[in-house]
Amino acid sequence: MESTIISNELRNLFSLVVFPGGCFLILLGLSYEWVDRKLLARFQNRIGPRWFQPFADIMKLLSKEEVIPDGVDRRLFIGLPIVALTGALTAGLYLPILGVKTTFSFPGDLIVTLYMLSLLTLCMGLAGANTLDRFSLIGASRTLTQLFSYESPFLLALLGPALFSNSWQISEIIAYTDGRWLMLTQPIGFLVAMIALMGKLELPPFDAPEAETEIVAGALTEYSGRGLALFRLGKGVELVIGLTLVSTLYLGGIANPLTFFLKTLALLLIIVVLQALLTRLRIDQTVGLWWRYGSLLVLLQWLILILLQGSAT
Amino acid sequence: MEEHKTAQSFTVPIGPQHPALKEPSHFRITVDGEIVKDAYVRLGYAHRGIEKATESRTWTQNLYMLERICGICSHIHGMTYCLAVERLAQVQVSARAQAIRVLFAELERIHSHMLWFGVTAHEAGFDTLFMYSWRDRETVMDILEELSGNRVNYSANILGGVKFDVDESRVESILDGINFLEERTHYYLEVVSTDALFLQRTHEIGTMNRREAEVLGTVGPTARASGVNRDIRIEAPYAAYDQFPIQITLDDSGDLKARVLVRLRELFESYRVIRQILKNLPSGDLTVRMPRRIQQGETVLRVEAPRGELFYFIRSNGSDTPDRIKVRTPTICNMMSVIKLAVGHQLADVPMILAGIDPCFSCNDRMVMINQSNKTSHRWRWEELRQHGINYYQQRTA
Repeated sequence: MESTIISNELRNLFSLVVFPGGCFLILLGLSYEWVDRKLLARFQNRIGPRWFQPFADIMKLLSKEEVIPDGVDRRLFIGLPIVALTGALTAGLYLPILGVKTTFSFPGDLIVTLYMLSLLTLCMGLAGANTLDRFSLIGASRTLTQLFSYESPFLLALLGPALFSNSWQISEIIAYTDGRWLMLTQPIGFLVAMIALMGKLELPPFDAPEAETEIVAGALTEYSGRGLALFRLGKGVELVIGLTLVSTLYLGGIANPLTFFLKTLALLLIIVVLQALLTRLRIDQTVGLWWRYGSLLVLLQWLILILLQGSAT
Repeated sequence: MEEHKTAQSFTVPIGPQHPALKEPSHFRITVDGEIVKDAYVRLGYAHRGIEKATESRTWTQNLYMLERICGICSHIHGMTYCLAVERLAQVQVSARAQAIRVLFAELERIHSHMLWFGVTAHEAGFDTLFMYSWRDRETVMDILEELSGNRVNYSANILGGVKFDVDESRVESILDGINFLEERTHYYLEVVSTDALFLQRTHEIGTMNRREAEVLGTVGPTARASGVNRDIRIEAPYAAYDQFPIQITLDDSGDLKARVLVRLRELFESYRVIRQILKNLPSGDLTVRMPRRIQQGETVLRVEAPRGELFYFIRSNGSDTPDRIKVRTPTICNMMSVIKLAVGHQLADVPMILAGIDPCFSCNDRMVMINQSNKTSHRWRWEELRQHGINYYQQRTA
């Protein structure tokens, strides 16, 4: 009896720290970051980084001195990157990473996952607002403005499949979407989810919060060493989780590692092509895009689907 | 209320060290949220004392000094200096040498405009276009290397002519390169006039009407994009521009898009003139003999550098060194338009507006000392100026 409890605890610990959460997610995040950078470089007629470059970057950052500037709240400055990475990793617990059925599940975990994903952006905004640096302050205001603009369309877009499966529990949605390509029946939702994901990750063309030609590195300008490394790890993890989330909900679910890689990498390819093709939007243009088109289109789709569902039953 | 006031005077310092600036310069942008309320520029971080240094060097040595005023348009400075000194010495340079000077000048214009195009795309956050245009720019760099052996400081001029000839065997490969570049320029023209997102960042941004452009004293493509009909190559043809005339490229809309389009369309004129020169290269010697001492006198010469009007004043007192050389580069003329246009735009547009004039900071940094209270002016000797620089920085670091 006691041994089963211990082995259960060990299993939980393993899935938290090693696989599928923790180390594995971080490694996967860095690998996906490399795919992103390499593909983008090839599209832009550059050579691009070698496969271990993201790892080397993180190792270098971790081994460097962390400079804490004057005038910041030290606890916040050190704590925010940790909370950001934790949030991103926690979001991964409820998802079938690599097609492995998750051990953690409860009704409403979809909402929790989405909010855990926003935690990273929120932390970055706070981190920028915490310093006295003017680039950080403007970056922070842009980060948070962007958060408020894409968050609601992203939520609405991901709740579309939830609405159909009559559940806000990811494992039940998966049971419903398995084999059903909702991307075909809800194309607008899929599109909005993809583009909102790019906004979430502050990838071009939604990189106004860290536009280097205007505000250097945006909210993270004052970060160096460990803090910056943790934020970057968090972004890598968020990339993987975002891709997994969209492919689970819209691309007919993830049954095994093969479909996981196929579907998430296909989505990554789309993201990279968009990054290469588009010019950076100003922050007012970003907000306009989301509130004028994104949200309204998703709502329109909801309306149509609800009407259709109503007439079908 | 107090808080509101401080929020309004939130200033963003851009430079002297900033990723948007390739050279040191300082802009102080006062913003209210994202809207620019006021802009201020401080130049002079890259002042090198070149004008003063020329006074203690011989006429020949100065050629190499002046070529280094600008890294991108090195030829135009060398050429202007040579043309002016030749005029002072009353030396007639062969038609072939003049045509080769124009050939280099137009190749340089292509390389400068392509470089600028890439930088503008980068400022707009369109890195793919940046990478593509710089890749294609390599073609013109290769042509320049083939002609002179150098990619950037070709140093094609010497007093009395040019150093490098264009042999028949090279014409073919130059024409191939030009054909390739022309095709690519057509493509870029299409991209910048149709890409919706790029247009969002350029169309009706930083609009300057013709009157403003004239009042602010803008020159070159920046002025031509506002419909100011001014091109020194046409107004006062120098070197071989009277035999190989240029047609002016104008645009009336005066926004950033117009500045991009004018520069790209100007490239077609450059391609045409280069082809014409290669086809009808006059014969003659490359150089003529120049005297070591230039006879007393002074002259003024204006040329059309890639960025606009470049102005040279040279005075000789009959010795083997110049008495005074004054250079005015186009960036200093266009800089005020940036400060004026930035106000009222978004912070995100400022790097674009700045890039729109194709700034070259090291070129424009000058020092003027005027004592206004007693109206005296003091001429500094080179040693004094140098000592002043040393003292100034010692005081700052102490």
